[in-house]
Amino acid sequence: MSEAADPPQLLVEKHVAFIQGLDKKQDELEYWMTEHLRVSGIYWGLVALGLLGRGDALDRDEVVAYVLGCQNADGGFGGHTGHDSHLLYTMSAVQILAMCDALDRVDAERVVGYVAGLQDRATGAVSGDEWGEEDTRFAFIAVAVLSFFGAEQRLDVAGVVRFVERSMNYDGGFGSGPGGESHAAQVYTCLACLAIAGRLDVVRRDRLSAWLAERQLPSGGLNGRPQKLEDVCYSWWALTSLHILGRPHWINRERLAAFILSAQDPAAGGIADRPGNVADVYHTCFGIAGLALAGFDGVPLAEIDPVYCMPRAVVERAGLRQWTQHVPAAWHAEETE
Amino acid sequence: MAAGEPTAEEREQARRRVEQYRALSARVDALRRRGEASHAALDATRELLEQNTELHTVWGYRRRAFAGLAEWQDPERRQQLLEAELEFMQRMIRRNVKSYWMWGHRVWVLEALPRPRWAHELALAAKLLAVDARNYHGWNYRRFVVARLRAAAPDGGRAVDESEFAFTTEQITRDCANHAAWHNRSRLLPAILAARDPPARAAALAAEDALVLNAIYTDPDDQNAWLYCEWLLDIQPDDQARCRLLRARVAAIRELLDLDEACRRPLAELAAALVELDRLDPGAVAAAERAECMRVLERLAADPLQAGRFRDQRAALGRQWGVAAQTQEKVAV
Repeated sequence: MSEAADPPQLLVEKHVAFIQGLDKKQDELEYWMTEHLRVSGIYWGLVALGLLGRGDALDRDEVVAYVLGCQNADGGFGGHTGHDSHLLYTMSAVQILAMCDALDRVDAERVVGYVAGLQDRATGAVSGDEWGEEDTRFAFIAVAVLSFFGAEQRLDVAGVVRFVERSMNYDGGFGSGPGGESHAAQVYTCLACLAIAGRLDVVRRDRLSAWLAERQLPSGGLNGRPQKLEDVCYSWWALTSLHILGRPHWINRERLAAFILSAQDPAAGGIADRPGNVADVYHTCFGIAGLALAGFDGVPLAEIDPVYCMPRAVVERAGLRQWTQHVPAAWHAEETE
Repeated sequence: MAAGEPTAEEREQARRRVEQYRALSARVDALRRRGEASHAALDATRELLEQNTELHTVWGYRRRAFAGLAEWQDPERRQQLLEAELEFMQRMIRRNVKSYWMWGHRVWVLEALPRPRWAHELALAAKLLAVDARNYHGWNYRRFVVARLRAAAPDGGRAVDESEFAFTTEQITRDCANHAAWHNRSRLLPAILAARDPPARAAALAAEDALVLNAIYTDPDDQNAWLYCEWLLDIQPDDQARCRLLRARVAAIRELLDLDEACRRPLAELAAALVELDRLDPGAVAAAERAECMRVLERLAADPLQAGRFRDQRAALGRQWGVAAQTQEKVAV
């Protein structure tokens, strides 16, 4: 592309400082209002830092001790010390421990027991917590968390796959459950779940790839559903889905990278949902993850695993790259020049 | 931040807000750790949730506090408590319609109500979708309510299905780019068709085709109707019907392109229809149409946003049809 101005830069130092500064904002109401998802916040921060090659920017021992302290008597993790367990935070906690190479510090049996206990054996569906809300996000998380401990067999995986299959729609996409409208983030969770389960064969690859490719708007950014605004976080959800399908080149990755870079806060660091909005660690994580997937080479970024959403080296160390063997042979990226 | 430094007074106000929020949060925490189930606990959790809807631990504690009240055992009293809770939810949902936790709580209330009013809930979901026709939670909630209405229906849910189907027609007529409505229609149509005898079923399928064509003529570049159009092929009774439909579609697209040949999507759909026709009925697509197909894909591949997709498709077709990459054939773009 031939932009007149200098190509936009990824503000690495600014983003590192932004993430390091998140825990020093105790004088802001927002800090306390987001306490309930602190564990997820640490996960987002560590992914971003890991991709930037700065995984050491947070104090590892402090992070591990804090996260282990969020595990409850039921075996699950809350979003903060003393908060109720939920699969969302259990997933983040396990991912953090994997990134900190501290998976051996957790009592695996308790985590496995908690997760396996959330499946409805009649329908295959998985609840997020004791209150019973079912979602394809939780189906993915259950399979993913157990895979860290080599304990997928503690779930009825065939049942999970049936639930995911029933959530597939006329457009090839997936919703939050059977009947739910297709949504790019739910598509990712379903594809990642099927990849780990070795059942990507149930996917309608051509139809879904086309639907995902349509998510790109003239700005270069991606949306999550037709007629919706672009948002930096879909740079991850939609593009990683295309990666799993072997079709990352079905969108314009240069334009996507330019869109993500334009949503950076050049003063305080961090990335927002779209240009001009306030940055947060969630969009910083998925913006940088999107850049890594889009092959952005302005600065060296670590490779990211499209299923586990962590640096590939972490996923390799955890012995979790088998999913790549389950991708149908015909799906290997075949970009035509 | 960029708008200048806050004044001392603003800083003091911000400090006080933080202090008040933390004090309330600590109060709820203390009650929760004691496992207190009382009206004081309900008041305190309500006050905190009004400030922050995203506290799933607090929503969970609130449910435990309800269930631990002595009066909870009396169905009349429970009905009153939960009706008041629905009013509270109503106010909260208006404030933040996108909170998963809040919708989950509403589902819990409905399931705990001795006498839930499902028709009233359906009307509420309709009101919500009237404000935001694409609201993800609103549609999910509507499907939850409809499932309950269906389960209780004496006719096995047939009337409910028909009225839900009519609801999607209404939504699509209002805005044919409503992906949520097309989606819901695709989920309802199989049951609607199954309930009809073969001639009525054929008529219903023809009506779907007319609806979708009308939407396409309204906005040929909108993806929603085209997605549904592709799916209608899946549910035809046999390949013969599919081929008939594809031929009719090719004719309709040509008509559209005569009106406005700048439309990008009809071009993509023309190529897709010809490819599918060729797959279902080998030989049905003549050499001239194959060449046209290749030209269309080349033209589409010139779009920088979609180049990868259409280049792949063109290469795959070239291999299949034994047509060389044909780059020598110049195409007017």
